[in-house]
Amino acid sequence: MSSEITMPDTRNTLVNLALFGLMVLILLTSLSTGTVQISLSDTVSAVVGNADPMTDFVVNELRLSRVVAGSLSGAALAMAGCLMQTLARNRLATPGIIGIDNAATAFAVASVVGVGLSLAPSAMALAGAAAATAIAFGLAGANGTRGYRFIVAGIGIGAIAGAVTQLMLSRVAIDTANAAYPWTVGSLNARDNRSVLILGIGVAAGYLILMCVTRALNTLQFSDAVAIALGTRLRAVRILGLGLSVMLTGLAVSVCGPVGLIALLAPELARALCRPGKIPLTAAALAGASFMLVADLLGRILLAPLEIPVGIITAIVGSPYLLWILLRPSPRSLT
Amino acid sequence: MVILASLLNGAGPVSAIDVMAALMGAGTGEAFFVVTELRLPRTIIALITGLALGLAGAILQSMTRNPLAEPGLLGVSAGSGFAVALAILWGASTATITTMVAQLGALAGCALVIAATRVQGLGNDPVRLVLAGATLSSLLMALTSMLMLMDQRAADEIRFWITGSVAGKSLSMLWATLPFILVGLALIGILARPLAAMALGEKAAVGLGHHPGRIRFLITVTVALLVGSATALAGPLIFVGLVVPFIARAFSGPDIRKTLWLCVPIGPAVVLGADVVSRLIATPSEMPLGVVTALIGAPVLLAIVRAGRMPSL
Amino acid sequence: MSHTKTATLKAESITLAHRQFIVAENLSLSLPTGKVTAIVGPNGCGKSTLLNGLARIHAPREGSVLLDGKDIHRLPSKEVARKLALLPQDNTAPEGLTVADLVRFGRQPHQGWMTQWSKEDQQAINQAVLAADVADLSGRALDTLSGGQRQRAWIAMAVAQQTPLLLLDEPTSALDLGHQIEVFELIRALSRQGKTIAMVVHDLVNACRYADHMVAMKSGTIIEEGTPADIVTPELVKELYGVHCDLLQDPATGCPLLANLRPCNS
Repeated sequence: MSSEITMPDTRNTLVNLALFGLMVLILLTSLSTGTVQISLSDTVSAVVGNADPMTDFVVNELRLSRVVAGSLSGAALAMAGCLMQTLARNRLATPGIIGIDNAATAFAVASVVGVGLSLAPSAMALAGAAAATAIAFGLAGANGTRGYRFIVAGIGIGAIAGAVTQLMLSRVAIDTANAAYPWTVGSLNARDNRSVLILGIGVAAGYLILMCVTRALNTLQFSDAVAIALGTRLRAVRILGLGLSVMLTGLAVSVCGPVGLIALLAPELARALCRPGKIPLTAAALAGASFMLVADLLGRILLAPLEIPVGIITAIVGSPYLLWILLRPSPRSLT
Repeated sequence: MVILASLLNGAGPVSAIDVMAALMGAGTGEAFFVVTELRLPRTIIALITGLALGLAGAILQSMTRNPLAEPGLLGVSAGSGFAVALAILWGASTATITTMVAQLGALAGCALVIAATRVQGLGNDPVRLVLAGATLSSLLMALTSMLMLMDQRAADEIRFWITGSVAGKSLSMLWATLPFILVGLALIGILARPLAAMALGEKAAVGLGHHPGRIRFLITVTVALLVGSATALAGPLIFVGLVVPFIARAFSGPDIRKTLWLCVPIGPAVVLGADVVSRLIATPSEMPLGVVTALIGAPVLLAIVRAGRMPSL
Repeated sequence: MSHTKTATLKAESITLAHRQFIVAENLSLSLPTGKVTAIVGPNGCGKSTLLNGLARIHAPREGSVLLDGKDIHRLPSKEVARKLALLPQDNTAPEGLTVADLVRFGRQPHQGWMTQWSKEDQQAINQAVLAADVADLSGRALDTLSGGQRQRAWIAMAVAQQTPLLLLDEPTSALDLGHQIEVFELIRALSRQGKTIAMVVHDLVNACRYADHMVAMKSGTIIEEGTPADIVTPELVKELYGVHCDLLQDPATGCPLLANLRPCNS
């Protein structure tokens, strides 16, 4: 009995290590795959810094930044999803499903096509994510964020944001519209290095902060009363969590556009693997990065030389799973 | 009530006339062409589309007893859109084939929705059904996008069509779909009474001498015919089937027959109004009609979901 | 438990409200140290709201709740959690959570940002699972337990907090008779170890038996307060619940015993 109680985290550590290994493997595969095929060992030596100039160029100049952008945005989306699910006590309440991705995209597109404010896409995406979150949680109000109503309200918000994006695209010259197109489906092609850098800083900072408040976050799995009774400063934790979730979503969207369902799938996988009772943020982040990289890789090789945007791959892979959650005769509780 | 209805009916054509009058000032010969060749077909198509989508939404909601059951939201339109994209990709381009394909796609989508409502628990949970439909829609839309990637030529055709627009459609398209719409309307005429009985519950309907299974099948076919035709005409327009019955019910109360009658003027008015807005809002270019209907419809969705109690059907 | 110090909790003319609706007005209450206080009253009389008010879950609109003489809402939440534990009514837990996982949560108020699991924590947990008699269940998932076992696991979590004060909201509702007695005995045993306990109870018979102090509430006000033997009368029962009864004395324990309950209009 006491051994049961004393060793809390062996399983979670193992899961995290395994997921990390998986992510590295996918990362290397992704670096080595493309128009020029490079063997895994050559890829590794290129990353370490001793390969012929050609390989070095392909791996480090062409592919590395894409892979970094992909893993960072995947991790950010997954953490944001995991947080929001916890805060809303609703496993469907991920930023993509409740329309936050779309709103962030709408704002970012506004920045790209030059409608209104001329802030950087990152800043605009943040503003959009914040606005949509405020509306979604504001509308939930007394009805609460549990259950399906909250989600459908979010679908409404997403639809409005999507329509606004279309509206802006229809008002500008076709070239500008084409430039903004990758944004509307979710793709790693539209990234600019500054946004990736900001995302990197955001992910690192967000992760560190979350690790500091992880105990408080864990208590949110219980009812409010239990969390307060355990000494959690509920309001502060909520505001912090929601803020970080918005930040991570906004920054990720400013890099990769609205890549759906990673924020749902990665935390689901992490929860299935880890011990119950803890919010598996690390595992979710690693799984999210892996998902994003796999989806991007698939998008690059399936119809090569054509490239399928990563958002389309995640929608095709993720939607059936979401449907399965929804259509099961007796779904588990939404929490 | 009838006066109100006719007023609403007037709203669409009147604003269309405003646009025409403005154009008349520019030059009569040219304007004549614009009005008869471009505007008139467009107006008629918008009217027919609105009629079909509004009625389809009303009967689907009545049968699933779900105020949120909207063909567009539930993936019927997306199914039909996907089928059309597939057909275009395979080289189809004549109006007739597109119509048939759109209807087949809508039929498949509609059958899925009805099957989903039969899944235990889902039928009683309006919101969960909508979420499932939205997911199905996004899946189909992703697949459609993928088809577009595979063929650049088809992509242009599909992209134009997929956002939903009544512009640039010729009347020949209308002739191709009209028979289907008429059949759909006739079916609604037959179904109105059994539907009202179904509102009392399936057992009561059986007691009144109806056959729920047969009615369900006929409704599936009707919705597919109407939505498929509308989609073939104007592309997937979501939210029309939500907004129109919503407005109609506000006047008619729960009686499905009154609701259906009210949908006849309101549906065309909404779509035509949206089309006019789409022309005005983005002058000199145009905004896809689907964008306007989404902007009108999404707030209605929010309002329905936010209402403490789902209006029961 | 050696380190269980005492702490005092009292409410000073607090007004509690849900939105515009005032549930309880101008209530004052002080929990007798080291005793079991039972809060009783009909449905909707505001007893759970009062308990949540005392536990700082529900902030009073007016007045204040004082923990050791200080306003509970001004104290750091963690400090409060080291002095006051609560077992709320709605205690859902994540699926698959084990008893050990749950009890471990009780140590959170004692852990800092970075501090590791300490020996003290381990001791507290061992004591708590023994006290609540859930040691054999520690590896089991909560959703596989019976209602009584689950309730004991939750009490074990509250006990692991090692607080001098323990508040329980209907700890025995939805339990069968055997499990009810089990939980009440546990509560009494905890009180004998020096804890000050307050609980909202529906069951007046067991409240009489297990409480040292009783607070009777009706429509948001405290109408009687004192030992069960002093305050429980047929008149009080009639006023609270609208039923007639006869009052006997339990031959074994001497506490009041309700008998021959019947509706007022017969």
